[in-house]
Amino acid sequence: MGPLSRDAWAQRLGAFRASPSAFMAGPEGEDLGRNLLGDLRSEKLSEQTKVSLLALSLEYPAQLWPDVSAAEVAATSLLDTLVLLPPRPSALRRPLLLAATTALAAGGALGPTSGASCRLLPLLLGLASGSDLGRGFVPASEQRPLQATACECLRELESCKPGLLGGSLGLLRGLLGQEGPVQPLSLLLALVLRNTLVLQSRVGAGLGGLLTDKVSPTGGGPWDWTLVEKGDGRLQPQAPSWPAAEEGEGERSLTAREHSPEEARELRAAVIQLLDTSYLLTPVAQAQLLWLLGWALRGLQGQPPALFKPQLVRLLGTAQMTLLHAVLALKAAFGEALFTAQDEALLLRRLTLAAQHPALPLPTHLFYLHCLLSFPENWPLGPEGEEAAPLLLGPQLCRGLLPSLLHDPMALLARLHLLCLLCAEDEEEEKGQLPSPRHYLEELLAGLRQQAALDEGPRALATVCFQASYLVTRCLAGQPIVLTPLIHGLAQLYRVRPMLASHFVDFLDQVDSELREPLKVVLQQEVVSRLGRDEALCWHLKMLAKVADGDAQSATLNFLQAAAAHCTNWDLQQGLLRVCRALLRAGVRGGLVDLLQVLARQLEDPDGRDHARLYYILLAHLAGPKLGVALGPSLAPPALASSLVAENQGFVAALMVQEAPALVRLSVGSHGVKGPLPVLKLQPEALEPIYSLELRFHVEGQLYAPLEAVHVPCLCPGRPARPLLLPLQPRCPAPARLDVHALYTTSTGLTCHAHLPPLFVNFADLFLPFPQPPGGAGLGFFEELWDSCLPEGAESRVWCSLGPQGLEGLVSRHLEPFVVVAQPPTSYYVAIHLPPNSKLLLRLEAALADGVPVALRTDDWAVLPLAGDYLRGLAAAL
Amino acid sequence: MAQRAVWLISHEPGTPLCGTVRFSRRYPTVEKRARVFNGASYVPIPEDGPFLKALLFELRLLDDDKDFVESRDSCSRINKTSIYGLLIGGEELWPVVAFLKNDIIYACVPLVEQTLSPRPPLISVSGVSQGFEFLFGIQDFLYSGQKNDSELNTKLSQLPDLLLQACPFGTLLDANLQNSLDNTNFASVTQPQKQPAWKTGTYKGKPQVSISITEKVKSMQYDKQGVADTWQVVGTVTCKCDLEGIMPNVTISLNLPTNGSPLQDILVHPCVTSLDSAILTSSSIDAMDDSAFSGPYKFPFTPPLESFNLCYYTSQVPVPPILGFYQMKEEEVQLRITINLKLHESVKNNFEFCEAHIPFYNRGPITHLEYKTSFGQLEVFREKSLLIWIIGQKFPKSMEISLSGTVTFGAKSHEKQPFDPICIGETAYLKLHFRILDYTLTGCYADQHSVQVFASGKPKISAYRKLISSDYYIWNSKAPAPVTYGSLLL
Repeated sequence: MGPLSRDAWAQRLGAFRASPSAFMAGPEGEDLGRNLLGDLRSEKLSEQTKVSLLALSLEYPAQLWPDVSAAEVAATSLLDTLVLLPPRPSALRRPLLLAATTALAAGGALGPTSGASCRLLPLLLGLASGSDLGRGFVPASEQRPLQATACECLRELESCKPGLLGGSLGLLRGLLGQEGPVQPLSLLLALVLRNTLVLQSRVGAGLGGLLTDKVSPTGGGPWDWTLVEKGDGRLQPQAPSWPAAEEGEGERSLTAREHSPEEARELRAAVIQLLDTSYLLTPVAQAQLLWLLGWALRGLQGQPPALFKPQLVRLLGTAQMTLLHAVLALKAAFGEALFTAQDEALLLRRLTLAAQHPALPLPTHLFYLHCLLSFPENWPLGPEGEEAAPLLLGPQLCRGLLPSLLHDPMALLARLHLLCLLCAEDEEEEKGQLPSPRHYLEELLAGLRQQAALDEGPRALATVCFQASYLVTRCLAGQPIVLTPLIHGLAQLYRVRPMLASHFVDFLDQVDSELREPLKVVLQQEVVSRLGRDEALCWHLKMLAKVADGDAQSATLNFLQAAAAHCTNWDLQQGLLRVCRALLRAGVRGGLVDLLQVLARQLEDPDGRDHARLYYILLAHLAGPKLGVALGPSLAPPALASSLVAENQGFVAALMVQEAPALVRLSVGSHGVKGPLPVLKLQPEALEPIYSLELRFHVEGQLYAPLEAVHVPCLCPGRPARPLLLPLQPRCPAPARLDVHALYTTSTGLTCHAHLPPLFVNFADLFLPFPQPPGGAGLGFFEELWDSCLPEGAESRVWCSLGPQGLEGLVSRHLEPFVVVAQPPTSYYVAIHLPPNSKLLLRLEAALADGVPVALRTDDWAVLPLAGDYLRGLAAAL
Repeated sequence: MAQRAVWLISHEPGTPLCGTVRFSRRYPTVEKRARVFNGASYVPIPEDGPFLKALLFELRLLDDDKDFVESRDSCSRINKTSIYGLLIGGEELWPVVAFLKNDIIYACVPLVEQTLSPRPPLISVSGVSQGFEFLFGIQDFLYSGQKNDSELNTKLSQLPDLLLQACPFGTLLDANLQNSLDNTNFASVTQPQKQPAWKTGTYKGKPQVSISITEKVKSMQYDKQGVADTWQVVGTVTCKCDLEGIMPNVTISLNLPTNGSPLQDILVHPCVTSLDSAILTSSSIDAMDDSAFSGPYKFPFTPPLESFNLCYYTSQVPVPPILGFYQMKEEEVQLRITINLKLHESVKNNFEFCEAHIPFYNRGPITHLEYKTSFGQLEVFREKSLLIWIIGQKFPKSMEISLSGTVTFGAKSHEKQPFDPICIGETAYLKLHFRILDYTLTGCYADQHSVQVFASGKPKISAYRKLISSDYYIWNSKAPAPVTYGSLLL
């Protein structure tokens, strides 16, 4: 394929830059690196296009030449292209040098076995030293710029392979003294000096003659890699972060090594040489030089940090961020050895004024503020690594650095931090400072809340308000005098703008319990005090789901009951249910049951109803701890599945039923005779506290319809329990035996299953009265029933013994609800309805002192023996 | 001490992505070091697309501010510097130096030569200040003399070549990109030895030195018991020295008249070679007394070729140039306003212009206005809810002028009328805009005779002065107003 046209390349480069990964994955990706190298030699492309190709290779060598061998090939090709350039000025030499350097360094090919490295290094060093490379290789007009470029390339290679140029120290120093370009040579020399010092001291050697040896290592022989090998190819931080440097192994060995007087003198001379000409460097380059030399000389014997002193006054006067930063680095490196207490105070003052100087931009102010709070003090007091106001930064110095509402959010927060630190100190010091920083802080927070409360305000205003509040709680924890007004201010903010609920929830999540608990209480009050329809209902529900707990139950439940009527859409219903869930978890029971039942019936949305029902069932069945587990955060990933599923997973996991002895006793109490069905009144009694009791009944012989289970939330020994009502649906009017099973949770959270002794339903337990006929019509009604029993039914007569209370006593104790006609004390007509549809009629007439004859009729002959037994039983019970 | 990558992004609210990457440059050799230094905590530089999205999100420049997003809005995510952590593909890229200026976001990622977990304090990362200077340098280059979009595009297109000079491997060599541009243009000139790196060539021509002093005065006036009015002068001295020779030496002295206000908080250009300790320590932090150093302020330096800011200073003059009060009261449907302005007798009564802007925030458009003014004209911008009182070139002989009237507003429509989080209810301000030529409030001047130039030929020396208002606020004294801590120190 021939070379691409300029436009084709422009298009390709554009496509590549838009998304390098997508381009490389496409059809053109594979050949891009090779085509690029090839087209650099094409005569059809302009220099400008070739420069743009090289620019690409400077940024994306890893994509173009992804492995070491490809990088080596590319570097070789780039060097060949460079050599083949015609001997006239060209814009390609510089970028070709940069590209070859980048390909080798970034591609990991730089090393003694790399042919390209062995060609590039001597070439660069030759260019840097301005020596004649012959054959018109460098046109005169390009010599100077290429010399600088070669220095930059060497510096980059030295950065990636420390020690690479150790053997050239003397040469570089000599060049700096002669006529080389000051800045590139200074920076290169400083870097090589620093790396050599570290590497030599690691192996316990001094600089030896390295600083004075001016012989070029390229003097015909191969490149000297020994120093690189000593360093194991480990990178050297050029300007180490200072806490790391404290612990750095290299630094320790630096201090350990003592240089000979001669070495020390040469080293000092080299450093002075560099510092003296540093004024000629650009400010950013000066700063690099200071970082490099500062950390190179730190702790080195015979190298007084006072060498830096002549530079300091000049540097302190400038507004240049890199220069002031470099001074701070020197401060961190040398401390008191370079900065006396007065110097330290001056530096702090300069920093303080730079942090607020109206002529400087905001990012600069913010960085200097950070520097102030991380200031490397000579004698720091506080814990390391924490932001704190330096000791010498008193209230007087801070005055201009305090926040106001007119500041940009970041400046406000940074300055607020300082104000908080002042307030924290102020507490310990004497009062009487006017105005008190604390008072000012309160006013400021109130102002922020006022902004956050604005209806049309952007969210950023609210965010700043909460960030400021959080910062204050972090810095001034344990100061109720600050926190109390903060809590009330926030509650007021919620009252005005409930739509900030999400911020409140986040805030509650972040702050300590010292603030969280009281804030929750006031927020809960704030929400539940708003009964009735409210446009902010969704926010109230969100808030309540966070703050609702066992306290103020009734108010919360009242609020929810009132709110339920307005929860007309899915969102609101879910919000409501989330609050219920929070209450469940908080252990609220009474009242919540009713609410959940109502919700399970009333909510429009089926999902909502299902949720309510689930919560209701959980509440009815599970003890507190188990509820906690069932409702706790599910470990299952929150997929798209309904939350119901997630909850159910927790629920199932918690529910493992155990067989156990019965911890509950049941007895049958007096039976009720109201309603259309006979109801068995059961009296439960627990031997230990049990929860979520479910009683299941089974009727032997299918005499009755299957019985519904009965639920009891909780039973405790010694605490009277409400009787349980068990409605019976007889299929025939006969007594029966009930098998009973119990399922319950113990106080330890175990779910147990137990078999209880059977219960017996007596014949009399099935008795129901007939509806009372209107007054005076009783006799006629009874006679009608009496007559209707025959001929299908049966008739009998029984003698029933009477006790000392006579017939009156017997009737009032056993038959009172069923009496239709009464002529006390001698005569009673009794009509009993036996579900499902039988009747039993009794005439008790002409009682004697010891007994009464009973005439009985029924429409169901099977009842007759039961009735006979019943009456005889009454007699026997006397 | 290097940068891993740099970006320029134009912020375009209302477009789908809300921005476009206008320029980006990566430094793979630095990236390789980052991988080694950062170890397990290394996060690679993302491609432009994901970076754009993450940065706009973090800077709140996407249009989706509606909902609360924890990773941005949480109260514990507090950013107190222009240095951010960006969440990209589940990992956090840190430190990202970034700021927005004139709808362009400037961003870069400095190399941290150690592990990032735990994060080292920013003060100890050398690349951070370099990153800032880099971005400031690009900003200066893009906006120096730039007037319109096409010029901006031209300058953006020059950036790749310029960075090849100024920052070929990620380590910044010169923040002044204009120097690099000149360097490229003058590449054929053989530079003599010991040329400063910040001076790319030599000047040939008539020697001349131009010094211009611009003072900006800002003020907060409350007209209230218990709250002090504040004002401050901020001065900038700009020089352009066209002198022959490699390193001509110049000393400029700034002088004050006998009753002038001392200069404080002096920051100088790096080309200044030495500083008197009185200049270094004169600071607004200290309480003023009569012994304060009052000049002459001498600045010896070797000038760069281009125009540069020799120094900045602040000063506390005894009185504000214009003292005013502003009273605003809500009366049922209308606002009643009364304004009084008084020019101090010591101030030169000869303005290039003087205006009072009276904005009404968080209200509807102005529907009705009745007013009476003792001087000047009133312009009404109904839709913007703004009144501009044009005072003109001179205050009247009495030096005192007033404006009173009533303003009625229509219904508020959110798009058109300005919103302000501070000016709620009766909290309101008026802002003064004025300029006086050939005058400084401090009295500061550069004496042409005291300028010393050590170069061949006697240069022509010209000096200029001007006073400009900046953030000159007069707050409604009938309502609460935001105060600074300094205002409470009476």
